[in-house]
Formats: sequence, structure tokens, C-alpha cells
Amino acid sequence: MDLLLDGFAAALTPTNILFAVLGVLLGTAVGVLPGIGPAMTVALLLPVTYSVPAESALIMFAGIYYGGMYGGSTTSILLNTPGESSSVITALEGNKMAKTGRAAQALATAAIGSFVAGTIGTVLLILLAPTVGPLVVKLGAPSYFAIMLLALVSVTVVLGSSKLRGFIALFLGLAMGLVGMSSGQPRMTFGFAELSDGIEIVVVAVAIFALGEALWVAAHLRRTPLEIIPAGRPWMSRSDWSRSWKPWLRGTAFGFPFGALPAGGAEIPTFLSYVTERRLSKHPEEFGKGAIEGVAGPEAANNASAAGTLLPMLALGLPTTATAAVILVAFESYGLQPGPQFMTQNEELVWALLASLFVANALLLVLNLPLAPVWAKLLRIPRPYLYAGILFFATLGAYSASASAFDLGLLLVLGVLGFAMRRFAIPVLPLIIGVILGPRLEEQLSEALDISRGDYSTLWGEPAAIICYLVMALVVAGLVAAQLRGNRQDTRTPETEKDEVHT
Amino acid sequence: MSIVIAYSPDIYGRAALEHALAEARLRETSLVVVNVTRGDSLVDSHYAHEDEVQLVMDRLKAEGVDATVRRDVVPDIADAVLDVAAEEHATLIVVGVRHRSAVGKMLLGSVAQRVILDASCPVLAVKPS
Amino acid sequence: MPEQSQQIPQTTPPARPVVDSAQYGMAVFLAVAGAYVVDNGTQMRSSASKDFLPPSTFAYVVGAALLALSVLLAVATARGDTPDAEDGEDVDLAGGSDVRTLVLLAAVLSVNVFLIELLGWPVTGAILFTGAAWVLGSRHWVRDVAIGVALSFGTFYAFYLGLGVPLPAGILNGVL
Repeated sequence: MDLLLDGFAAALTPTNILFAVLGVLLGTAVGVLPGIGPAMTVALLLPVTYSVPAESALIMFAGIYYGGMYGGSTTSILLNTPGESSSVITALEGNKMAKTGRAAQALATAAIGSFVAGTIGTVLLILLAPTVGPLVVKLGAPSYFAIMLLALVSVTVVLGSSKLRGFIALFLGLAMGLVGMSSGQPRMTFGFAELSDGIEIVVVAVAIFALGEALWVAAHLRRTPLEIIPAGRPWMSRSDWSRSWKPWLRGTAFGFPFGALPAGGAEIPTFLSYVTERRLSKHPEEFGKGAIEGVAGPEAANNASAAGTLLPMLALGLPTTATAAVILVAFESYGLQPGPQFMTQNEELVWALLASLFVANALLLVLNLPLAPVWAKLLRIPRPYLYAGILFFATLGAYSASASAFDLGLLLVLGVLGFAMRRFAIPVLPLIIGVILGPRLEEQLSEALDISRGDYSTLWGEPAAIICYLVMALVVAGLVAAQLRGNRQDTRTPETEKDEVHT
Repeated sequence: MSIVIAYSPDIYGRAALEHALAEARLRETSLVVVNVTRGDSLVDSHYAHEDEVQLVMDRLKAEGVDATVRRDVVPDIADAVLDVAAEEHATLIVVGVRHRSAVGKMLLGSVAQRVILDASCPVLAVKPS
Repeated sequence: MPEQSQQIPQTTPPARPVVDSAQYGMAVFLAVAGAYVVDNGTQMRSSASKDFLPPSTFAYVVGAALLALSVLLAVATARGDTPDAEDGEDVDLAGGSDVRTLVLLAAVLSVNVFLIELLGWPVTGAILFTGAAWVLGSRHWVRDVAIGVALSFGTFYAFYLGLGVPLPAGILNGVL
């Protein structure tokens, strides 16, 4: 408790409040703007890590994460354009509500639900983080190796529709992770001295998330304007409150655990929350026509999962979403390595960050309820300026990483790769996680083998490791079973043929 | 032979609409409502909703004026208005004008100004009262 | 799982698979990348006897996996596997990729790569923004240049004074 109070003391300094406000505003703005998500924004803002203190920068990034989640729901409701896969479900009922003149209520239940879920999620995080911390410190290199392997496999296998493409992304990422000096020799440097320290991970993040995305959108610009539904200040009536509070709590219960799981993400819990609310609702006839429960539940699930994501990130150094991956890059550029020892060694920083999550959440509510009509105005920015601006800041971010034009060339090459990945439906998350975890995977394996003097059986010598391998086996077995069942049901359709190829 | 009006769903467009309507009844010609967008932003407040266009058309019909509507995504709004005017052999173009400073004109350009300068028929520039 | 059901575009005729031949290009890229990784692994020597995990091990594993994936992707492509390209808020997939825009944007970015150290960020940054805005369809020259210049000078000073990161001043060295 004292630690938390210290955390609040650190989070509530004027500078840090300023950074939290900045983060929340930026996050909401980019959530609203088409074509920019929180992962891209944090990637573009990585240069601030070169001089802003770690605490302030991380507080700002947390604000962007939470703000982006909320901003995405605004456009889902007003425009029916879910920018992130996590707000697809919100658009289902939210846009219907807006069309029947209940935009203000939809925005309000989304904002307050996000606040409730974010706050409960942060409380859970604060309760769980100190208990998980000491547990993971005891884990040896073999367990850590197994956990990372599990994270890589599950992110690759569970997310996205095509397993083949998931693995392509993962191994491309691992290959990039190989670049640099290894045992005193250059590895995969293509003869460039600039690469001997490894690929600058900031450049990879900016290229894949920002440049690749901007190029992809630029090549497929939508030309017809969408119809925005005008909305005033969000508010809710008494009956809206009574219909919303239970979905908020249930949504939080779905969201947090899934966010904390490797590869859990926000898609599954928002979907589960929607299905649950539809089943439990006293007004099932309203579903599909704009039921407030269908906005309240998924929005809460969405934000709770964002809080949940931070648990494995802080305790194990495992990013489970794109935004968490980029925030991890930010940690690394401070020389901080989230993982077993991180929580105990950087207590002050961790608690300031946790406390600032409360601050960010409260700010989000205070700022966004009155500002909703202002956010809608952002949508009038002409696309040429929006995407030219992204290219401008991507270039700036990559250049300032090491002040070399070489990195800009690398940025362009990787940006084209990012474009190609979107063209061929190869997911970007496994790649970025592969780049981050690849070198650490090798490091842990090397350490484990050094201790055991080359005996590979050490890898399954710890209980935590065995559990990880069992879970991995279960995941793979489950997939194979699902595939076989699918094949047996109908062997002639092209669908199953495709599934087969994907595994 | 018809009157072309550059319409936008705001006070300027509505002022232009009133005057265009009066002129169309006076001259007993048809009216072509042009509402186009460059489509370069996700939301364009000058591009009317389907519902609003329907309301305008209903109103014109009720007033007994033969009216058609042109809605499209175009590279340049002033050019689009002028093209429609040429196609329809317009006898008059009606535009709403707003006050804009010299810097504003330089940065934002002015559709009304270009229509007024480049049109081959008379242009009626209307200010909202 | 919700995403599983949306996986396959229902428009694909079952009789003759549509082959996305561009995807073979991706397969070739994977093969080349895999070959390079493996080849690079063979050139690494195991340094010390106590090195239980030689630096080549991971290279072999990753390289072999890339080669295998390249084959799998080629086979999948031949069997009519088409990617569901990424959709988004501001994306219209109906028209196919606009190659001209893509090439021109890449050209604008390359100009920046080669000239940033010579001309300096305030100049190349402004060119970058204005050029990109033009490629993307903006035709308000005065406004484009004004925003580009404001952004590049603004970031130059923000980075120098605010973040303490000096960006190259180039030809304007001494003026700024």
C-alpha cells in the first residue's frame, strides 16, 4: 500500500500529469483518426525516449494505450468503421444506436464502461503483479525459455486466420532478431557495419507499424466520404445506467484474463461479452437494432484486456498485443528489461506506472465526455496531410534512433516488407514479437545449456517448463483435432482444403 | 437551359438554394443541384447526407420546380460545378460566398471565387442574410 | 472462434482455384531469406569449446524453417490459397493496389534518405511532407509547402531544444 501511495506521489507530479494528459489526448485523437492506431502512435513517439525520463514517457504511453482503445470506439459508433479488431463488436450495436438517435448514450456507456473496466483492471493488476513478481524470479532459464516459446507459438497459432502466414511472420521476425554480433562474429549483417549491433528495434517497429501501414492505406485510399452521425455531449438516462452496469462488470471479467494470456488479445473477450449480453438481456429484441448492453459489455471487455496485457508484459517481459510490443521496445530503449527481476529492481518505476494508469483512466473520463464532438472534427483532416504526416514522423523517428541515413534506408526496405505483409495477409504481431523475443530466447537457451554443461534434458527439468510444453502440446493437439473434425464434416469444399494448407 | 446551384449543407448553401429557387421560378427553368466532394477526408461536412438531399429535392418538388441532383466524388469542386454548367447549358450559376481573409484565401482557396472568374455564364453570388 | 468463420471469401469458385501469382513472389523472397540465413550460419565458427550453443544453431533452425515455409506457401498458392488482404478504417480493397502512388511515395522517401545529411532535415523534411501530400492527391501548393516547412522547422527545434537530439542542419548550418 505504501508503495502504491509512493507511486501516486510520483504519478501526480505536475510533469507526469502533463504527460498523462498528453498521452490520453494523443491516444484518443489517433484512435479517432482513420488509419492510425495506438501501436503506430507509440512507435512514432519512440524518439521521446531519448531524453524524457523513463517514468514520464511510460506514463504517456500508458495514456496512449488506454486513450486509443477509447478513441477507436468513438469512430465505431459514429461512423461504423472499426479501426481495430477489438472495436468490431462495438460497431455492431453502437452504430445502430447512433442511427436511431442514441449516439450520445452509446458514447457515454462506452466511456464510462471503459473507465469502470480500466479501473477494475488496474486494481487487479496491482493485486496480482506483486504476487506474480516473486514467483517468476524463482524461474530458471529453462522455464523462461519454455514460457517465451509458448508465447511465440500461441501468438502465432491462436491469432489470425492462417497458421501458415502466422509462422511466416514469426520466422521472419526471428531471422531479423539474428542480426548482429554473436560470439564475437558478425551474423546476418549483409556486410554492413551499421548492423553489427543488431537491427535497431525502433526502426523495425516504426517500419512495420507506421510506414507499412501508411503505404498500404495510401495504395488503397477510400475515396467516398462516410456519413458521420452528429452527436452531442454524451449522457445517459437512469434506465441506461441500470442496463449498463452489469454488462460493464461482466465485460471486465471476460477482458482481463484474456488480456493477461499470451495471445488472448481483445477480440475473443469482446465477442464473448457480446454473446453473453445478448443471451442475458431483458431486451433481446433490441439486439441488432442498437442495444445498449451490446456496447457496454464489449467496450468494458476491450479496456479490461488492455489492463490485463500489462501483467505478462511487466512480470515476464512478454508482449501480447501490438501496442504492448511497442511499449516493450520503449522499455528496452531505456535499458530496462521487463521480466523476472524487473518488478523487484524497479519498484518505484513500476508503482508510478500502475498509479498513473488510474490517473490516465480518470483523465480519459473527464476529458472525453465533454470533448466527444471535438474529436469528430478531426475526421475532416484531408487524407493527403494525414498520411504525409505519418511518413514525415516515421522518417523522423527512425532517423533520430541513431542519427544515420542508413537507418532511413532500412526503414524504407522494412516498410516495403510491411506493405507486402499486409498485401499477403501476413500478420505483423508475430514478426515484432519474434524480433523482440528471438535474441532473448537464444540467450536463455544458451544460459540453460551453460549451466547444464550442454545437457539438453535440462530444458524439461523444471516444473514450470513442463507445464508450458504441455500447454503447447494441448494447443497444437486442439488445433489438429479441430482440423480433423472440420475435414470429416465436409471434405470437398475449398474451405477445408484451405484449412489443411494453413496448418 | 437551367440554373446550376453549388450546394453545401450549411447556411451558405441554404442561402444559395433560396435564391436559386426564386430565380428558377422567375425564369421558369429547371434547377440542377450540384453537391460534390473531393473525398479526401473521412468526413466532409460540405457533402450532404442522403437524407438532407432528399429533403431539398422534396422541397423543390413541392415548390413546383423541375430539379435534378448531381452528387459525385471529383478531383476539383470548382471544375465540377463549371463542367455541369457547361453540360447543362446553364443560364445562371448560383453560389454561396463567405468572407475570407487574404491569407485564408491563399491557404484554403475559394471555390466561389474560381467559379465566378471562370464561368462562361452569369454567376449569382449570395451571402446568407 | 469468430475470425475462423470469416476466413474464406465465399466468392472463390470451388471448381477452378484462383491462383494469386504474386504470392509466389513472397515464397521466393522467403526462400532467398532462408537460404541466406543458412548460408550465413555455415560461415560461423564455433569459437570456444565451452560454447554449448554455437551461434550457427539458431541460424540453421530459423533458415530451415523459412525454406520450409516458402515451399508450403508455394504449394498453398498453387492450390488456390488467396490472402485476405488487410482491411481497415480508411481502406478500400475493391480497386487493387495503386502501384503508381506506392512507387512515387517510395521515391519521395528515397530522396530523403540520400539528401538528409547534405541538405539537412529542415529542407528534406519539408520536401518529404510536400511531396507525399502531392503524391496522395493534394493540389494546394501554397498550403502544402507552408505546412511542410512549419512541420520540419518545428520538429527541428523541438528535437534540438526539447529532446536534446540534434537533427542535421545541412545547408542551413549556421543559419539555424
